[in-house]
Amino acid sequence: MPHDDSIPERDKKPLAELLLSIADDKLILGHRNADWTGLAPILEEDIAYSSLAQDEIAHASAFFDLAARLLKTTADRLAYGRAATDYRCAELVEFSDEFDWALALARSFYCDHFDRARLARLARSKYRPLAELSSRLAAEEQIHVDHVDSWIHRLGHGGAEAHERMQNALDRLGDLAQTLFETNDSIRECERLGYYPGDEQSIYDTWLEGLRTVAQKAGLSVNVPVPDSNRQGGRRGHHGAGFAALIDELTEVYRIEPEAAW
Amino acid sequence: MVTESEITEVLRTINDPEMPISIVDLGIIGSVSVAGAECPGAGTIVKIDVLPTFVGCAALPMIESMIRQKLAQLPDVTSVEVNFKYSPAWTVDRISPAGRESLRHFGVTVPHLRTALGNEAAIETLTCPFCGSENVELESSFGPTRCRMIYHCLRCKNPFEHLKRLNLPVC
Repeated sequence: MPHDDSIPERDKKPLAELLLSIADDKLILGHRNADWTGLAPILEEDIAYSSLAQDEIAHASAFFDLAARLLKTTADRLAYGRAATDYRCAELVEFSDEFDWALALARSFYCDHFDRARLARLARSKYRPLAELSSRLAAEEQIHVDHVDSWIHRLGHGGAEAHERMQNALDRLGDLAQTLFETNDSIRECERLGYYPGDEQSIYDTWLEGLRTVAQKAGLSVNVPVPDSNRQGGRRGHHGAGFAALIDELTEVYRIEPEAAW
Repeated sequence: MVTESEITEVLRTINDPEMPISIVDLGIIGSVSVAGAECPGAGTIVKIDVLPTFVGCAALPMIESMIRQKLAQLPDVTSVEVNFKYSPAWTVDRISPAGRESLRHFGVTVPHLRTALGNEAAIETLTCPFCGSENVELESSFGPTRCRMIYHCLRCKNPFEHLKRLNLPVC
C-alpha cells in the first residue's frame, strides 16, 4: 500500500485510538519497569531496568506525539490528563510484580516479544510517520528482547529454585498475556484501512513460536490460552482493580499544575 | 544570505550535551536548508533536520535549544526550524573519523564501520580505548545513556563504554 502523510478526517479518531493503545502499553510498562530502579537484584539490572523504563516512556511519548497531532492536543495531556477508564493498555502491562524478579521478567518476556511483533506490523502502515517511527523503534525493541531472553536462559539453567520460580512466573502470567491481543473497534478499523496491516491472530502465532523457542532452550515451557476475540478488558477501558491507584500515582505531579512547562 | 556551509560550520561548534563530540561529527544533522522569507528583505529561514540517536533521547530538547540559540546569532537569520526525523535513521556509521577519535579519547568506542556488503556477519572485535587490548568483556548491555553499554578491560582494568549498533531494517 502506498505511504501517505495525510489522513482523511474520518480516519483520525480510530487511528488516534490505535496510537493510544500502543502508547498506553508502553507508558504503563515503563512505569512498572521503573519500580525496579534502586531495587533490582544486581547493579547491572538496576541500570538495565532503569534504561528499559526510559526506553518505554520515550517510545510512548513518540506515539503520544503522533496521536496529539491528530487530536490537536499535547502528548502530556494525553499521557497524564485522562481518566483511568480512558487508558487503552492491556492488563498485562499494569500487572504489579510485587518485586518478584521472576514475575518482572515473565511480564517483560511476554510484552517485549509482543511489542517487537506489533512494531513490525506498524512498520508496514500506510501512514508514513507511523511506519517510519515503528521501523526505527523495532531496532530499539530488539535490545529489550535480547535482554529478557538472556535472563530466561540464565534462570532456566540456574538451578532448581531459579528454574521453578521462572516456570511458575511464566505460568502465572500466561492468562494475562492474552490480554495483549485484545482488540477494539478502532483497532479493527485501522486493520481494515491499512494503518495497522495484518491482524492480531497473525502475530499471535509468530509471537508464541518465538517465546517457545527461547523457553525450550532454557528448559521452560510457555502456555498461553488462545486470545478470546470478544474479550472486554483494558483495550476497552476495563482495567484491573489496582489500575485507578496506579494512574493516581503516575499523574500526581502533573495534576498539581497541569499546564506547567517542564 | 547565509549559506548552508556557513550554517554547518556553526553547527560544528555545538557539542553533544553528554559527550565531547560535535553534533556534526556525531552525524545527527540530517540536512540543512536555507530559504529567503516570503517577503523580500524579511530575512532568512533556516531548517535543520536532526536524526536522533535513539527515539525520544533525553538530550534532544537541549540540542534543539543550542541549535536555535547559535543560529539566531547569525546576521539576517529570522527563523530557525528544527525537526526530528527518523528517516533516514541515524546509525553509528554516520560518526565521522574525527568524531570516532574524540570519542575514543573520552573512553567511548564505536562499532566498526559497515562498508562492504556482507560485512554484517563479521565478528566485532573491540579494543580498549585506553590500552588497545582486545582482552575485554561486556559488563552491562545498558549504560549511562540509552545509546551506550559498559565494557571492562581485563588488561588495564579500566571500564569503558561502547556505542550500541542498532540492527536497522534495510529500506
